[in-house]
Amino acid sequence: MLGTLATLATLLLVGQTDTTIGVPAGTRLEVSNPSGSIVVKGWKQSGVRIHAEHENSDVIELTLEGSVLRVKTTTRRSSPREVNLIISAPASMPLMLSGVQTNIDVDGAQASVTVETVNGEVNCRGGSGFVSLKSVDGAVALQQAKARIDINTVNENVSVADVAGEISTTTVSGDIALRNVESSSVEAATVSGEVLYAGTITDGGHYHFATHNGDVTLGLPEKANATISVSTFNGDLDASFPVNVAGASKHRFSFGIGASGARAARIDIETFNGDIKLRRPAELDEQHE
Amino acid sequence: MRKPGPGVGVASERGDRTTAADAETADVALAASGDGRAFERLYRGHVARIHSLACRMIGLELADDVTQEVFVRAWRKLGTFRGEAAFGTWLYRLAVNLILAQRQSRGGERVWYDAGAILETTPSAAREPELALDFEDAISRLPSGARQVFVLHDVAGYKHEEIGALLGIAPGTSKSQLHRARMALRGYLDR
Amino acid sequence: MRDQWTDRFSDYLDGGMGGTERQALEQHLAGCAECRSVLDQLTRVRARARVLPDQAPARDLWPEIAREIAGGPSRLSVRAFSVPQLLAAGVALMLLSGSAAWIAARRASPSAAAPPGPTAWHASTVWRSEAPYAAAVAQLQATLDEGRRSGALDTATVRVLLHSLAIVDTAILEARRALAADPASPYLNHHLADTMRRKLDLLRQASAITTPRT
Repeated sequence: MLGTLATLATLLLVGQTDTTIGVPAGTRLEVSNPSGSIVVKGWKQSGVRIHAEHENSDVIELTLEGSVLRVKTTTRRSSPREVNLIISAPASMPLMLSGVQTNIDVDGAQASVTVETVNGEVNCRGGSGFVSLKSVDGAVALQQAKARIDINTVNENVSVADVAGEISTTTVSGDIALRNVESSSVEAATVSGEVLYAGTITDGGHYHFATHNGDVTLGLPEKANATISVSTFNGDLDASFPVNVAGASKHRFSFGIGASGARAARIDIETFNGDIKLRRPAELDEQHE
Repeated sequence: MRKPGPGVGVASERGDRTTAADAETADVALAASGDGRAFERLYRGHVARIHSLACRMIGLELADDVTQEVFVRAWRKLGTFRGEAAFGTWLYRLAVNLILAQRQSRGGERVWYDAGAILETTPSAAREPELALDFEDAISRLPSGARQVFVLHDVAGYKHEEIGALLGIAPGTSKSQLHRARMALRGYLDR
Repeated sequence: MRDQWTDRFSDYLDGGMGGTERQALEQHLAGCAECRSVLDQLTRVRARARVLPDQAPARDLWPEIAREIAGGPSRLSVRAFSVPQLLAAGVALMLLSGSAAWIAARRASPSAAAPPGPTAWHASTVWRSEAPYAAAVAQLQATLDEGRRSGALDTATVRVLLHSLAIVDTAILEARRALAADPASPYLNHHLADTMRRKLDLLRQASAITTPRT
């Protein structure tokens, strides 16, 4: 079925759902599904296809209001049952996806992506402009995005690979791994977990890696220009290449690599209980394989 | 797939507004200690109100610049925020002070029209308006003195004594300007 | 239409008219339909002004604001905090957890060098600014507790949040002990403040989850 929803019209789909609707260019997709899964795949067509596996007591509300297409699952039961939504949408369509007990997957996005869930994993491949991925109890993974990136989870790992843009990411109990990253601004912090960064160190950039319990491993390109400040209470600096420590206090010391001055990037590494490991990128690749 | 949990979506007894106020108090504290993301959340929560104030007081052309300056200044002065008033109230007052200072530094007009002039230049309900202005447009076309008083009193909720102190006029002048603004805006109520 | 009363309508509407004058005006209004009409219009203008919608800027101003506050003298770029600033950020948490030892260490320590840019703190400022932070933590913890009681947070989520809070609290405790032994350390000062900030952020996330989703 191919139809076009008029502005403010609401379509209620009961039972098994598989429908495709036309939307104007510039429409944003908002999906809300409290339990189950949301999968959004970017495609080249201009319409939006919604396929849902759910019980007859569940209702999928489709609403086109202005420039927003809303897909919302509701239930006639007292508590939500799992609904698995599989949506194909134009790759250039901005996405806002939310759930509670919901795993959320995005593949092939070429616009902004905002995802929020509580108990669920988030996997995103793609994204442009702004990508925000949040969970509480669930791992978050992002690949192949070119955007300002904001990733938060509480109780699981964060994994970022093959991205470009400013990155800010936190978790409490989990590791953070940033690989093949092109960025001039990175903030990565966990409380109990390890941090790994293997990406560019751009002149004038700022990079901050912090954990309370865990090691921080940094891949430093040979031609990087940076002032590096390392702070630890109960840990060691382990570098696979010579470093000349300049300033040192009891828990913090700093050194420069490459050219200093205004060109130099600023790198701050902090771990309370853990080691700081400085490696060349090739060494990290070997470890990863 | 995880088993769905019970009670999802049950409303908190404290209500959405209290929860939002809690989160904002936390964000103010976080921003005051240097958390830029917390300040961004505060920005997103208040930018519409501040921008609208700037549009109505100083005009659309300058509103973006002024709004930006308000938030930059708020960041720098956040250490002086004591929490006696709501953050939004504090921010709004900071914006009003900044906007008025901007008007003075730019040599903005401070023209106090007499009752007859304002009623002739801005049609009332007694005559058909020549231009299809809506209410907001009509506010922007008020003479600047009347506009400032109207926005500060009827939109922002300031008292005449406060307006007098802000604008350097007597409370009586503020009252008469307010009345003239209201009389002039009668014709645009239904637009 | 103008009569002797027209210019007094706004004052009447805003409650700024004395008793005798108000009675006289109301007597006049009873017999003057035109004046009643004008007064009604002014009432509606005032009401309309109170509900004018707010309009965000057409473009997002945040990137420019972020650049300006990061580039100038600001707290964003600061990585070391003085002990008084640590107090402002975390003393409320310490009081809540009843740690006399940490407070004693605070009293004994000299102030570390204040980093550039942020407001210079002094004792009276610190104690005045403690209240909002303590209030924030207390309110958010109460919201989390209520979420558990009311069922807005399911048991798995509660377990995760409590586990994470325990991790952060342990980190705060360890940082506090280290700072007590070396109170002048800029790193330890900053790390404790940062970890306390993480706790507040976690509580804020928990509070946000308890808000019903529409």
